[in-house]
Amino acid sequence: MEYTKEKKVGEGTYAVVYLGSQHSTGRKIAVKEIKTSEFKDGLDMSAIREVKYLQEMQHPNVIELVDIFMAYDNLNLVLEFLPTDLEVVIKDKSILFTPADIKAWILMTLRGVYHCHRNFILHRDLKPNNLLFSPDGQIKVADFGLARAIPAPHEILTSNVVTRWYRAPELLFGAKHYTSAIDIWSVGVIFAELMLRIPYLPGQNDVDQMEVTFRALGTPTDRDWPEVSSFMTYNKLQIYPPPSRDELRKRFIAASEYALDFMCGMLTMNPQKRWTAVQCLESDYFKELPSPSDPSTIKIHS
Amino acid sequence: MTDVQVGEKSTSNSAPANMTVKGKEAELKPAAENNKPFNYKRISDDDLYRHSSQYRMWSYTRDQLQEKRIDTNARAIAYIEENLLKVREASNLTEEEIKVLEDKAIPLTMEEELGLVNFYAKKVQVIAQHLNLPTEVVATAISFFRRFFLENSVMQIDPKSIVHTTIFLACKSENYFISVDSFAQKAKSTRESILKFEFKLLESLKFSLLNHHPYKPLHGFFLDIQNVLYGKVDLNYMGQIYDRCKKRITAAILTDVVYFYTPPQITLATLLIEDEALVTRYLEMKFPSRENSQEPVSESGEKEEQNDTNTTKKNKEQNLDDGKSPIDSAKLLAIIRECKSLIEEPKPLSTEEAKKIAAKNYYCQNPLTLIQKLKRKMNEDTPAAEKRQKI
Repeated sequence: MEYTKEKKVGEGTYAVVYLGSQHSTGRKIAVKEIKTSEFKDGLDMSAIREVKYLQEMQHPNVIELVDIFMAYDNLNLVLEFLPTDLEVVIKDKSILFTPADIKAWILMTLRGVYHCHRNFILHRDLKPNNLLFSPDGQIKVADFGLARAIPAPHEILTSNVVTRWYRAPELLFGAKHYTSAIDIWSVGVIFAELMLRIPYLPGQNDVDQMEVTFRALGTPTDRDWPEVSSFMTYNKLQIYPPPSRDELRKRFIAASEYALDFMCGMLTMNPQKRWTAVQCLESDYFKELPSPSDPSTIKIHS
Repeated sequence: MTDVQVGEKSTSNSAPANMTVKGKEAELKPAAENNKPFNYKRISDDDLYRHSSQYRMWSYTRDQLQEKRIDTNARAIAYIEENLLKVREASNLTEEEIKVLEDKAIPLTMEEELGLVNFYAKKVQVIAQHLNLPTEVVATAISFFRRFFLENSVMQIDPKSIVHTTIFLACKSENYFISVDSFAQKAKSTRESILKFEFKLLESLKFSLLNHHPYKPLHGFFLDIQNVLYGKVDLNYMGQIYDRCKKRITAAILTDVVYFYTPPQITLATLLIEDEALVTRYLEMKFPSRENSQEPVSESGEKEEQNDTNTTKKNKEQNLDDGKSPIDSAKLLAIIRECKSLIEEPKPLSTEEAKKIAAKNYYCQNPLTLIQKLKRKMNEDTPAAEKRQKI
């Protein structure tokens, strides 16, 4: 065997993850063993999506699919070894990080997301837990189990995607058509969470998520989002005014003006006006001081 | 929608074309001049296509493809012949029996295999369309099936047994989920036979599932032709062309052009089949030739002529802006013509011919049935002869 499985590190609905190493190189790897026997419809859709999209992407900020092999009727994805993730780092209060560190992480995240988008792939499940760290501090976008191709305009999609707190307003409204803008919203929420170090929009359930989102950022109206009121659930909504600049400054105390612009660009209600990955990457936030930290120098272990 | 440049070479592994027209939205705008890092390089859509698994794993030169097929065929032949030898050594065969084996238990040639694969690939299309699956799913099923038989020989895996498996996997891969039970019911198959080779199929596909089909480029060209030839093309007519090209693309996916050309090149080739004059005019307008920089003279009114000049100039500027070499429409046309003739070439096997090859395929794998058949025939012959003698 070219790969060894040394330690079980996680178990999800459709896979078990092991740490191991590659014999020929000694390189540390993770093996995601897909439990195929559990599925009556043959290979599971999440596994198929993961294989399909990871095969297409080679980028420093997207998890690397090293190899795939079959053993004992199981499908095994060999992935690069990524020891921790952003959720762990945010929660570990003994780790201190600076605005420059946040800038470095969000920049790497956006590069990975942009690479997905320019390959016409939607991730559909961006959250701190799916942003992994390599040993040298690089952020890697991972878990493509919900990914899909960017749809043609007429295609009908399910709005039941993305983990609740990171779900864009059009998804909360149950939109059947949406774009790569949903991923950018998630990045915006993650950015806010990095600055606050607590989840920014922690809805208790799907209804509460709308309440929490619109209370924080204002209820969208037809003026800035034409026909938003024609969504079925719109009528039941409490109308909140959008936060003033001062309110935002008070909530995000350490944020510069450019950082706030950058966040508001990603957290724009109207998906057509929301910033694209390119707009984000070219924002003044990345051009002003402090420069993003060198990822390998940021301490992410307590 | 200006992003439809097409690579210049096709058969060598060098310059594939943009695969879709959506590229524009995703393309990085040039940063402010002074902020560009020293190693600034724009990634083109061609660069992205070169990273796709379709290009890395499933694009070949003609020689490479031929070699691959010869290899797969030779491996199967070696296996079959070894088996035949065993049969001859193990059983005590009469001279007649040996002769039957020598006459009829013959492995398929590479050409026969290819004929059979294409015959069944067409079946995949017919069945998938009969199941009312979306165009892209049908196309993916066909391409899975044909790729599977680049890696495997029909002498090792019966093409019939993999038809439903490829369609079912294509459904899942294209996000068009149908449960295996309802699929089995609709396709008049069974759960077991559909899933039996699913792993084998995935493995043979080298776990590469994302297909770039020429339908999206078709939509792009459809819009861009109307834009570039504004006021000179009839919308209804373009609609008809669109529908006919869609069918032609599906037909093209059944041929080897998918291994030699990029999706937009194949699209242009199907457009060329429909209306050569239109495509030629469009490409000349879109990519004016360098030596002959004179504007094409429009036979219609002056106003239009001015329009032409504007678009042409704009295109030129864009090309310069991008720092890309402008595309030579003559060279491009030559490539597309080549592709077109390959699309028009195939003469599929008749059902009769396919049956013959399938029978041959069966006998070379099951030589003993030939001998049993011979024995039965001789048994039947003998009593009949005796009867005749009595009369």
